[in-house]
Amino acid sequence: MQKAEPKGNYLTTTTTTLKKYGLSRGVLLLFLVLAIAPLVLKNEYLIHLLISSLLYGSLAMGFDFTAGNINIVNVGYAAFMGIGAYATGILTTRLGISPWLGLIPAIVFAGILGFLTGLLTLRLRGIFAAIMTWFLGLTLYAAAANLIDLTRGQLGLSVPPLFDSGSKIPYFYIILVITIIVYVLLQLVLRSHIGIAFNAIGQDVDSAQASGVNPVKYKVINFTISCMIAGLLGWFYAHFVGILTPEIMSTKVSVEILALAYLGGRGSLWGGLLAALVLIPVFEYLRFLMEFRLIIYGVLLILVMIFFPGGIASVLKSLGKVWQKSIQIFRQMREKRAG
Amino acid sequence: MSGLLRGGIYILMAVGLSLVFGVMNIPNFAHGEFYMVGAFFAFFSFTMFGLSPIIAILAAGLGTLILGVLLEKIIFVPLRKKSKDEWVMNSFLVTIGLSIALINIATAIWGSNFKGIPSYWEGSIKLFSSVNISIDRFVGFVVAIAVVIVFWLFLNKTKIGLSIRAVAQNERGAMLVGIKLSSVYTLTFALSCMLAGIAGACLLSINPAYPNMGVAPLYKSWFVVILVGMGNIGGSIAGGLIVGMLEAFSFYFLGSGWQDVVSLSAIILILVFKPAGIFGSSVKGVWGK
Repeated sequence: MQKAEPKGNYLTTTTTTLKKYGLSRGVLLLFLVLAIAPLVLKNEYLIHLLISSLLYGSLAMGFDFTAGNINIVNVGYAAFMGIGAYATGILTTRLGISPWLGLIPAIVFAGILGFLTGLLTLRLRGIFAAIMTWFLGLTLYAAAANLIDLTRGQLGLSVPPLFDSGSKIPYFYIILVITIIVYVLLQLVLRSHIGIAFNAIGQDVDSAQASGVNPVKYKVINFTISCMIAGLLGWFYAHFVGILTPEIMSTKVSVEILALAYLGGRGSLWGGLLAALVLIPVFEYLRFLMEFRLIIYGVLLILVMIFFPGGIASVLKSLGKVWQKSIQIFRQMREKRAG
Repeated sequence: MSGLLRGGIYILMAVGLSLVFGVMNIPNFAHGEFYMVGAFFAFFSFTMFGLSPIIAILAAGLGTLILGVLLEKIIFVPLRKKSKDEWVMNSFLVTIGLSIALINIATAIWGSNFKGIPSYWEGSIKLFSSVNISIDRFVGFVVAIAVVIVFWLFLNKTKIGLSIRAVAQNERGAMLVGIKLSSVYTLTFALSCMLAGIAGACLLSINPAYPNMGVAPLYKSWFVVILVGMGNIGGSIAGGLIVGMLEAFSFYFLGSGWQDVVSLSAIILILVFKPAGIFGSSVKGVWGK
């Protein structure tokens, strides 16, 4: 992309402004295609699939915000989503507040918990922090399963839906808007000075500290944002699915989010979204693979970690480079022939 | 009393976990899956082939040992070649993938229902006048302790065991005195799998085999390892007993379900206030990358 930009016409200024928000042409195209998808696909089942892909994709982005930037793998990520889901679930059923209003406690509770987790993991690095978040997730799971008066435990808490009509299309647009907001918000944060500080901490805490970056502050900021996103998605999950069991807080869900994020490419944000959009429908479609779905996830994760630690994102990026290079060569050849 | 038996099993699990972390720097998330595989192997060798219980337990150990060798050669050898500076994190993620794969392969092959046996041996022994303990649990405990002792002797008295410990202490130094690192790695991983497999086999009559059974032993052995400090093999023995007893007590006073909350909260506090463990060991690579 090094070639000189044509003199500032209207189109290029818009693209550069959009790029500030992380909306490159590919990502914009993806969101546009998604936005018109329900008009083309008249099938409720397909829309359901797209909803769960977007939900998991956004979760993977929120997860990647921590894993890819400050290098802490949050193995209890699903529990934060669960906190958000239970916050809205309990408040709407017990106090009768509107499901839309439940959004606020969902984000606030998950955010507070994320803030505390950020504080707890401060002294720990790498694998210890990962184990810590894992234990936190397990504790929250056990608590949710045992506080039967509050959560109804394994029996499941039924949560009122957002819309009275049974159609899934409104839910689709809500999750699409959430996904876009999450993506743009995270990109904005990462492109600000905060993002640079995250990067410094992720690479080497000691030298970040030596150059005046306060790891305490930025780790807490990162955890709080990432968990607020989990809470927001938990709110959506609760009202979309309509029944809550402690299972959404289980390690299995966290691991699935983790697998998507790493398959997509650590630190890329959009990689996890793309992985979710590709893998979830593919597995749903290839019914005969359903049984082996998780085996394939596991094996893919192993292969990616061994051979392509950058995930789909880095593969696509290097393919893009090859493409540009070949265009360049093609151009040079043509110029030679012409000249 | 069952606290002691559980303690014995946690020792088996934790020693293996600790060993793999100390020697190979792998934080193994799939350790519980070898426990599961061991339980399945024991179930089939006990029921289908009608082997005697001790042989069945040993067969489970042998089976997981072979599985460990294969997995180390197939997965960790290429990973070691490819990933250098992010080894701990990458290997952690690889073991997460391994854990998903093993659980679901087990589901695909053996189904997800419980496969248990009523008991290895019938009857019970009277210890003192009031305490009754079934022979099953007693022998399970004895086997676990015997394996730990044999393993302890192996690590401290044999040449191979010493070379494993040498690698744990200083990799480069061990290489300089002519220890072949790759075979030590394979052996360590396989032995750790074997210990987990034996643990699963010993408890078969109490915990039936099913694909997801590895989760609880996994986090409990992590609990032990963090309690005493990563890579502290001797400490894991004390730690296993402490955790087993803690669990029995919180079960007794708080009822089932809440025991997990208690032990998990305890481990979080330890991580916050004494991240090097209560015995304060220091192992390479714990704090850095």
